[in-house]
Amino acid sequence: MTVTVRHERVIVNSPSLPSGWRAGRRTGWRGVSRRELLRGALAGLGPLALSSCAFPVGGAPPTSTAGAPRLDEDGPLEIWIFDGGLGDDYARTIHEPLVAARFPRLRISHNATKEISRTLQPRFVGGDPPEVVDDSGAGAMDLGALVQDGQLTDLTPLYDAPSWDDPSVTVRETVDPMAIELGGYGGRPYVMNYTNTVWGIWYSRPLFEARGWRPPRTWARFLDLCEEIRRSGMAPFTYAGTHPQYIYEPILTLAAKIGGRRVLTDIDNLAEGAWQAEPVRRAAAAFAEIGARHLLEGTAGLDHVQTQIAQNRGLVAMLPCGSWLENEQRGSAPDGFGYAMFPLPDFGPSDAMPYGTLHAQPGEEYIVPARSANPGAGLEYLRAMLSRRAAGRFTEAVSTLTVVRGAADGLRLEPGLESARAALAAAGGNVVTFMFRRWYSELHDEVAAASGQLMSGAISADRWAERAQRKADALRADPSVRKFTR
Amino acid sequence: MNQHRRRFVAGFLAVPVTLYTVYVLSPCAQALVIALTDWRGVNAVPRFVGADNFRRLLGDEVFLRAAGHNLLLLALVPPLTIGLALLFAWLLTGDGAAGRTGGGAVRGAGFYRVVFFFPQVLAVVLVAVLFRQILRPDRSGMLNGPLTALGFEPVGPLAETRLALWAVLFVLVWQAVGFYVVLFSAAIVSIPRELFEAAAIDGARGGRLFLRITLPLLRDTVQAGWVYLGVAALDVFAVVWVMTAEQGGPDHSTTVMAAEVYRNAFHYSRFGYACAMGVVLFALTTGFAVLVLRLTRRERIEFR
Amino acid sequence: MSAARARLTALLSHAVLLWWTLLVTVPIAWTFLASVKSEREIFGDAWSPPATIRLDNWARAWQQAHVGRYMLNSVVVVACGTAGTMLFGAMAAYVLARYRFRGSRIVHALFVAGLALPVYLVLTPLFFVVRNTGALPLVGPFIGLNTHGGLILVYIAFSLPFTVFFLTAFFGTLPETVAEAAFVDGASHTRVFFQIMLPMARPGVVSVTVFNVLGQWNQYQLPLVLLPSDRDSWLLTQGIADISTTAGYDADWGALFAALGMAIIPMIVVHALLQGQIRRGLTAGAFK
Repeated sequence: MTVTVRHERVIVNSPSLPSGWRAGRRTGWRGVSRRELLRGALAGLGPLALSSCAFPVGGAPPTSTAGAPRLDEDGPLEIWIFDGGLGDDYARTIHEPLVAARFPRLRISHNATKEISRTLQPRFVGGDPPEVVDDSGAGAMDLGALVQDGQLTDLTPLYDAPSWDDPSVTVRETVDPMAIELGGYGGRPYVMNYTNTVWGIWYSRPLFEARGWRPPRTWARFLDLCEEIRRSGMAPFTYAGTHPQYIYEPILTLAAKIGGRRVLTDIDNLAEGAWQAEPVRRAAAAFAEIGARHLLEGTAGLDHVQTQIAQNRGLVAMLPCGSWLENEQRGSAPDGFGYAMFPLPDFGPSDAMPYGTLHAQPGEEYIVPARSANPGAGLEYLRAMLSRRAAGRFTEAVSTLTVVRGAADGLRLEPGLESARAALAAAGGNVVTFMFRRWYSELHDEVAAASGQLMSGAISADRWAERAQRKADALRADPSVRKFTR
Repeated sequence: MNQHRRRFVAGFLAVPVTLYTVYVLSPCAQALVIALTDWRGVNAVPRFVGADNFRRLLGDEVFLRAAGHNLLLLALVPPLTIGLALLFAWLLTGDGAAGRTGGGAVRGAGFYRVVFFFPQVLAVVLVAVLFRQILRPDRSGMLNGPLTALGFEPVGPLAETRLALWAVLFVLVWQAVGFYVVLFSAAIVSIPRELFEAAAIDGARGGRLFLRITLPLLRDTVQAGWVYLGVAALDVFAVVWVMTAEQGGPDHSTTVMAAEVYRNAFHYSRFGYACAMGVVLFALTTGFAVLVLRLTRRERIEFR
Repeated sequence: MSAARARLTALLSHAVLLWWTLLVTVPIAWTFLASVKSEREIFGDAWSPPATIRLDNWARAWQQAHVGRYMLNSVVVVACGTAGTMLFGAMAAYVLARYRFRGSRIVHALFVAGLALPVYLVLTPLFFVVRNTGALPLVGPFIGLNTHGGLILVYIAFSLPFTVFFLTAFFGTLPETVAEAAFVDGASHTRVFFQIMLPMARPGVVSVTVFNVLGQWNQYQLPLVLLPSDRDSWLLTQGIADISTTAGYDADWGALFAALGMAIIPMIVVHALLQGQIRRGLTAGAFK
């Protein structure tokens, strides 16, 4: 009899727990109680044994919540920030005070971690997630799986709400539409991208000017430049070898430049033969050549910090990275290093996209877990983040552009960020992006692993494309993986 | 008396059996059930998929490679560790007479034993972090600094698919040897001295004395160590996860089953599939343990 | 002749032993060298001495990395975990070795089967179990997630197979005469265990304790899953892994090496102090 009572207790304590939890637990209890030998002794330890079965076998699926979650002004607001290149101070000094000023009774708690998934996955599994999560970094959670399991709050009410600064416009009207689109799963926004990141090849402008080197506009010039740099005794090129996603990024951007946007949407949509398309293979082969001839010694075994410091120390001239680089290297780069970036050069006269085409991507993914205690507060927090004031101060504080339109106007930016912004402005509509990394982590891992091998010369571009294609095919054929398209 | 006895038995077993049931057996049973579902780790209801996960494992190249790496480590870690440890223990204690008096067969035996034990107390994670720095492939690495200074090409064991697993093997052995040196030294010292003296009268000494007297008498200790090291080799995780590039790379060249279980569970949210991997890992470990324990039992019978 | 030969043997022995000594000490020494270098020097020549000794690395590591706190947590958890393991393990092993009752073989077999159980198999369900125990009345707050109590219970449970397996064998080899005499004198079963059999089993208990302390000290996966969010309760292994990722993002390599050094020193000191005891324990036990 006590069994049932304790179940009720548990369920009362955590309102979000689905009813499916009960069935399994009783099985565990029976299994134990049959052990004749221990019947008497177990009476005292019973409660502990009761807890022993927890896996939700059977039972009804969780019901999806209808309508926008209400804000409980006296409730908790637990915030988890990914403590990576941007640090976590910005949340504490900019965003949280804004919300606290408007809702003084909210119990705000600030948390930061470098390993989002390791830290928070168990809380999602346990039905007790926090209100706001900045799901970023190498250890980010698989958002596709979270969406699939109904773990995330639909952000439509957030974008339809009046803007924090000006009630006459909606939040939607103040935000880069691509950001909203990319945060969508199955046509509904579940993820708020906050930053806007631009990728390119980074170098030290003062160094290039001193040596008379110029950012190349064509691939042939790029190879010439590499030769020239190498003759000067410096390594021309490197990337974060132990994280080979840093090199598949320019490969894919170059592929899109050669073959057009379609190349990347096919890849994202797991289209047949997408990875073995001619533009993709040519781009891979082009970078394989760089890998064979122009890499910094030991690149394959160095991580992003090590290669970036190597660049700061003048050991290597160029590396591919996103626009967070300058901020990340603050304190490591010598004074006057003068970061700047250039877009990928033209590959050939038949390129589908013009010079200046960029890979830009809204990022730093914020989510409001649906099973948190106070998801309404989570939405309110995101609304505060998307105010002009919050976004502008964020850009100043961490040298990163946001998806809030015009929020960086009139700000004095560091040279690297200024160079990224200029490149983005020059690119106009010629901005490409890809989503499979977010949608299918397994594909991401396989392409990263293969790219490392491609660059070290262990496999050919054809083999690289074949491996990626095989993984994509396997995912397409796997019914347990939810598919996304764009 | 009988009543007393029964109550005593139940009382003594209650706590350990309950703890064991709650924290080990029941999760284990649940894992077996999860392995038959496509559960993705969050509280949606899992779908029963039968043996699908296991069928899929057979075609999963990465997992098969991981299993292969585990088997290689299983084959190499115990003999290398035990071989080195026996050699050092023998050098340190000689015929056991010297060790008992607190000194050793060589001067400074106590010092050596202390130093050899160091890696064991450092915690695996710390060792892994340490070696990631030591094995850096550029000239700032501990290993490559001197090498490049001497004009050699720098080596990057962790960056080379062919070398990385050997680096993992080295670190595992490096960490484990000290413990077994101490263990075997202790066992050698506890061998009755008369046995050595009798053998010495027969003319045996040095290496032959070791092979004919010491080694056979250490058999039980060695086998216990073999089981422990074998299970450890099948369970390797921290060294691979923390030390290698791409957490089991480069290009899956160092990945092990435990890493694949963790990756599939916590990175890909494939909890059902990960549990199926765990079941295979469990079967392998059990098979290994049963095998060795069978052998042990046979030896016991021979001795008595 | 014989003296010369003995000297040659000793020389060879020393050569072999010194080789391994260097393999062990050089990486550790290098860590300490790097811990007092500036970042620029760390990324320079591996073995060059620092221009100035940078003790500020150590200060930063102490302040930011909380090595002291993590270590204290580890000591508490491992001490309690091992003590509990030995107590309950010895109790179970004794009963299984010395008493015949229905089901004893099955219980023993279940414990032994756990010897081969990979933690990774049970990780997810285990998380639920610990989370649910946290909702129990009274004891819940002490044994749920993010508590050292819960982690200690899990450590005990996972250390039982090895402990029970070896101690059962050990209790089986002990002579019975003393215990029988005590029973004749009217001693209870419990008394016989604690006052006669357990002290007799001391050598075996000490050996298994050493194994358990090392095993629990090295544990990384369980605290990672069971102490997920409360940084203040983290163990040393979590702390070190975190520091190494921290260095990845903040590029504070001097502090990383200092933190490593900070974690190494007390271990080496404690080990140097206790090594005699460890060795004596293993000598007496030696897994008969």
